[in-house]
Amino acid sequence: MPKFMILIYETDATSGKLGPEKQKAVLDKYAEWNKSLRDKGVFTGSERLSSAGRVLRKADQKLRIHDGPYAESKEVFGGYWAIEVGSFEEAVECCRNSPHLDYGGTLEIREITTCPVN
Amino acid sequence: MTEPGAQSVESGAHAEVEGLIDNLFRRSAGQIVAYLTRLLGPENLELAEESVQEALIKALQGWPYSGVPNNPGGWLFQVAKNTALDAVRRNSNFASKHPEIVAELDRKAASTDHVDAHLEEQLRDDELRMLFMCCHPALSPNLSVPLSLKIVGGFGVGEITRALLSNETTIAQRLVRAKRQIRESNISLELPSGRDLSQRLDAVLEVVYLIFNEGYAAFSGENLIRSELCFEAMRLGKLVADSSLGSPKVHALLSLMAFQAARLPARVDSEGNMVLLEYQDRQLWDRQLVAFAFRELEQSAEGDEITSYHVQAALASVHAHGEDEASTDWVTILSLYDQLIALAPSPIVALNRAVAVAKVHGPEQAMREIDEVVDQGALKSYYLLHAVRGRLLRQMGKAADAAANFRSALECPCSEPERKFLQKLLADCEEGA
Amino acid sequence: MAKFLLLLYDNPADWQTFSPEEMQQAIGKYMGWAQKLAQKGILVGSDKLQDNGRVVRKSANQVRVSDGPYAESKEVFGGYFAIEVKDYDAAVAECRDCPHLDYGGTIEVRQVDVIPGR
Repeated sequence: MPKFMILIYETDATSGKLGPEKQKAVLDKYAEWNKSLRDKGVFTGSERLSSAGRVLRKADQKLRIHDGPYAESKEVFGGYWAIEVGSFEEAVECCRNSPHLDYGGTLEIREITTCPVN
Repeated sequence: MTEPGAQSVESGAHAEVEGLIDNLFRRSAGQIVAYLTRLLGPENLELAEESVQEALIKALQGWPYSGVPNNPGGWLFQVAKNTALDAVRRNSNFASKHPEIVAELDRKAASTDHVDAHLEEQLRDDELRMLFMCCHPALSPNLSVPLSLKIVGGFGVGEITRALLSNETTIAQRLVRAKRQIRESNISLELPSGRDLSQRLDAVLEVVYLIFNEGYAAFSGENLIRSELCFEAMRLGKLVADSSLGSPKVHALLSLMAFQAARLPARVDSEGNMVLLEYQDRQLWDRQLVAFAFRELEQSAEGDEITSYHVQAALASVHAHGEDEASTDWVTILSLYDQLIALAPSPIVALNRAVAVAKVHGPEQAMREIDEVVDQGALKSYYLLHAVRGRLLRQMGKAADAAANFRSALECPCSEPERKFLQKLLADCEEGA
Repeated sequence: MAKFLLLLYDNPADWQTFSPEEMQQAIGKYMGWAQKLAQKGILVGSDKLQDNGRVVRKSANQVRVSDGPYAESKEVFGGYFAIEVKDYDAAVAECRDCPHLDYGGTIEVRQVDVIPGR
């Protein structure tokens, strides 16, 4: 069966900007979604990335490292859920009840290739 | 099973990636483009090229994570076919007219894990047809050479540019013109027959040898891509020689190229200076290639036809026979040049023959022959004419005249290693004077 | 030890101008780098994401699914290597010789959050 990664792009909710009271509600909702994926038997893993990071690029052959990424430049990748389902359609179905969408966030579904074609 | 000597002819010279043989991508590109072009028609050559490029990119993006598949060529072939299939299906007009092409593209191999011998044979056949198509009479050699290098050789535009010492715009334009010519003249992948086939074969051999000479004219350290051309030319020669179109003259050309390529490691010293044949360290000659060359020479001896490739190969073999320069059989070499002059007269052959005359009959006679026979007008800006005359004059004790000739040589276009060589000859002269 | 994801972003269009030989050499460099990580015993996983997945959002309370992401102007998240090293400095150090930087790509280094009770 194909494997998909559901990529979470940061929102205020996921980056903890809603304040400590609302934060618990956020965590509960994600935990609920997490459980629903496990109950369906499609969950294969998930990881949350810390918001602080480093960005590396080379310009004129010189390496530049800076803290980041920052939300101003583009959507920040916050973490992922990995699932094993039959098709993109099924993967989309798994996303419909994700709280991430209610908090105005974007989910990107990408198929994982780790095996050779055919 | 490839034989030693033939091995290096087929694989070239490069660093290896675990699981990826030398030049796999380049050669797969050539083969798969050929296959798709046969299937889709030469008017869809660009779609074939794009499909292959897509497959290579997908491999580049994915294999660092997944590792190289067991049958990398098969993987690339499948992905390229899928890409072409998607494009063909999007063009519903084409798809409906050619369901058999769609079916062929859609056909999955039983397993891409192992090499399919039948498919390999088909791909070699397609590659051969592509090579013959690139040498169609409607395409002049200055189009055939870059076109062959691009679509059969799998070289990139930048690589071809550096190899031919040209510029990218010129090469790109030539490729565009060549492809346009293919469409306008309705050039197909069908092989001609009878006399046309014979002429086409001659054109192919000419283009192959042109490619070889572009590579051979380089000196290592100048540009590695150029010696890569020598091996590509030999690979193409072997492709023809091993097919049903192989004939003694193809083996003769292959032999000639192999003798010359064997000398590549000895042509330049550690400082990048040019080393003439007479001074080369023969221990550095590639023994496997020399052996291969002698085997090909034998195969070329069958039949009655004697071409200039035969004679040139024989000439090269005489040099290769000698243990060292001193034991070179110049008498045989001179008689071979007599044969070559009769077969393929040219001022350059006459000049080379004069060098042999000097060895057998002395420098004075050689000078006389150069003056009489060599069309001096034609070779006036060929540095070797002046260099050869200079060296003969030096042997005759005429240092001042020799120096004058070396100065003339330096005014002719030549490469950096050639320039340094001439300057050394001039300096030796001025010391003696 | 902490787990870090090395996120490789690239612009797929860049490879179009590469010759087959140049691409084969590039693969060699990437594999050499990945092998280095494996030989050091710090590589714990990697995944390549296929281009062209789905993007899921909610607007006006409706779930909207579109094809994507498309490269056009922005960099596309292509895949990641997961390593286990001491800290950010150590993780960044492993990236210095990654060929991705020489080919104009961006590497984002992000620490994986350890979520208690998961």
